[in-house]
Amino acid sequence: MKRLVLGSLLLAGVAAPLSAQAQDTIKIGMVEPLTGSVAYNGKSVVEGAKLAVEEMNAAGGILGKKIELVIEDGQCTPANSVNAVEKLVQKDKVAALVGAFCSSATAAIMPVAQKYKIPLVTGVSSQASLTEQGNPYFFRAAETDALMAKAFAKILANDLKLTKVAYIGVNDDWGRGGVEEFSRDLSALGAKSVLTEYFDHGTTDFFTLLTKLRAAKPDGVFVAAETQDGSILVKQIREMGLDAKVFGVGSWATADFINLTGSAAEGIHAAVPYASSMDAPRNQTFVKSYEAKYRIKPGKYGAAGYNALNITAQAIARAGNTDAEAIRAALYKTQYEAPNGVYRFTEKGQAYGFDAVLVRIEGGQPKVIASTPVDAPH
Amino acid sequence: MDLDLFLQFLTNGVVMGVFYALSALGLTLIFGLMRVVNFAHGEFYMLGGVTGWFVTSYLGLDFFSGLALVAVAMAAFGWLVDRFLIERVRGQGEEPGILLTIGLSIFLVNATLLVVGPAPMKVAGAVAEGPLFFGPIAVTKLRLIAVGVGIALIAGAHLIIRKTRLGAAMRATFQDPMAASLAGIRTGNVYAATFALGCTLAALSGMLLGSIYSAQASVGGLISLKSFVVVILGGMGSFAGAIAGGLLLGIAEAFWGGYVATGMVDVVGFVLVILILLFRPQGLFSIRAERA
Repeated sequence: MKRLVLGSLLLAGVAAPLSAQAQDTIKIGMVEPLTGSVAYNGKSVVEGAKLAVEEMNAAGGILGKKIELVIEDGQCTPANSVNAVEKLVQKDKVAALVGAFCSSATAAIMPVAQKYKIPLVTGVSSQASLTEQGNPYFFRAAETDALMAKAFAKILANDLKLTKVAYIGVNDDWGRGGVEEFSRDLSALGAKSVLTEYFDHGTTDFFTLLTKLRAAKPDGVFVAAETQDGSILVKQIREMGLDAKVFGVGSWATADFINLTGSAAEGIHAAVPYASSMDAPRNQTFVKSYEAKYRIKPGKYGAAGYNALNITAQAIARAGNTDAEAIRAALYKTQYEAPNGVYRFTEKGQAYGFDAVLVRIEGGQPKVIASTPVDAPH
Repeated sequence: MDLDLFLQFLTNGVVMGVFYALSALGLTLIFGLMRVVNFAHGEFYMLGGVTGWFVTSYLGLDFFSGLALVAVAMAAFGWLVDRFLIERVRGQGEEPGILLTIGLSIFLVNATLLVVGPAPMKVAGAVAEGPLFFGPIAVTKLRLIAVGVGIALIAGAHLIIRKTRLGAAMRATFQDPMAASLAGIRTGNVYAATFALGCTLAALSGMLLGSIYSAQASVGGLISLKSFVVVILGGMGSFAGAIAGGLLLGIAEAFWGGYVATGMVDVVGFVLVILILLFRPQGLFSIRAERA
């Protein structure tokens, strides 16, 4: 009897790797920009996602299988992101998709996800209209500009005593969206808008723009820009000898941004959905394991990738199989305990319930000065 | 007040113009002397920035020693690229060279992404950052130094080509390779030296501007594009043309951004290119004038 058990165990051991060719992992496809001017931020998302997968696989995976993350470079452009999704669906046969960073790229892959009936979760794309398109396969585990503006406009206007504000945004849907939402909410609170300017991704010299800014004499400057563009811009604001208060949205509460910007980062404010200095116990565990793996503290995008992957994988686990409809139904029932609060989804697929924070950079560290849960939009 | 604005825009434009001229110089040099359209130009610029970050941040050298080390390293790299790659397609027309350099650019970007990743890198500057005022005009010391070094590099490259034996050999080889080699010029070495010089100029501008902005692995595409605009404006292969084209582009962008909108500033260069191609397709300065 004993020998029989041993024999069947041996047999199972030999047979398992043979039969397990295609179906021994659950594949989740990920489209992020890995080249181009937001490549660095895209890489952070991937790092966060890999950490989430590693943790889940260490805990035994989902549905008894390991999770396999298949990553493609969408370059933040609609065309490349669509190609990447086609490849992930056709060749890799992924069960769910995460991506695609830039809102314009995400907008382009949403119909593709719907066509193939694959649930798509974004942890980043924040343009408000995405969840208004009635795409039942799309879920946004991120804040929108409107929600951020609503949460922090009042605190900013009062704390910084803003009377005249200049708005600078990167020339894409996210930058324009951020500028519009914040200028609307701040204007309603009595802060006059004196200048609105946009610049292209990858711009390195802002002196011309800042010359106009100086002439407009604002006491506050709102900036919607990512790490690379934003760090150069903030640096040059100080190089022009401007001392207006700088605040904005983007991945500013990160070690890299602060390192690149240097002393010019001191005293600036950023409204972010995540900062490594948030003091929830779950966040401390997350920061510790992220830092152990990447030797850097997680920023907004590291957390976004981590959360998006956890939400997706947990939905697959709750669904009990990789059927798209079951995953979709499970996603609606999300109650994910993230490092930054608890994520739930509205029936339009917009996440709410998690915390967003306003941080001030002090002594090279992002210090949380206000925290508020993000409400469901109505 | 309006005059103040105008002067600041003009200053910004001139500073950018010198930067554009400097970053396009290597491209026009290699094209003018070697007839190679170097699509890997932006990647040489990028490598200059990345190695600049490496020598200042990792090896801890000061900016100017770092600049010298980068110059030597990139000259050697350019020499090797020519001897091992460009040489194989020499004399076969322009297309094989274009395909080769496009391939090289893809290889260089991805190799850099693999080694250092996509994060922007900081090249330690020559002096501390901070504003410097001349009346109403704000610049920074770093920018002034970069403009100075840029002008020195442009003048230095010009002197090498005009006044040295090597320069004479370069021009002779370009005019008639057969006659040059009959006269005892080792044309293989001359080609390699020319390519190395172009490559070094691109890399030095990359490090110089990396200290003002930041160095990053995927910056090359945009630099190549702007450099082509500058070179087409000035005339392919013309030295004076690259300077004039750079200044024209810089100042035009500054005024367009200043008085119209900064969001569409990249349009300016291409509108200029279309106008130049329509009305003066040989560029502002034709190559013939330069060669004589």
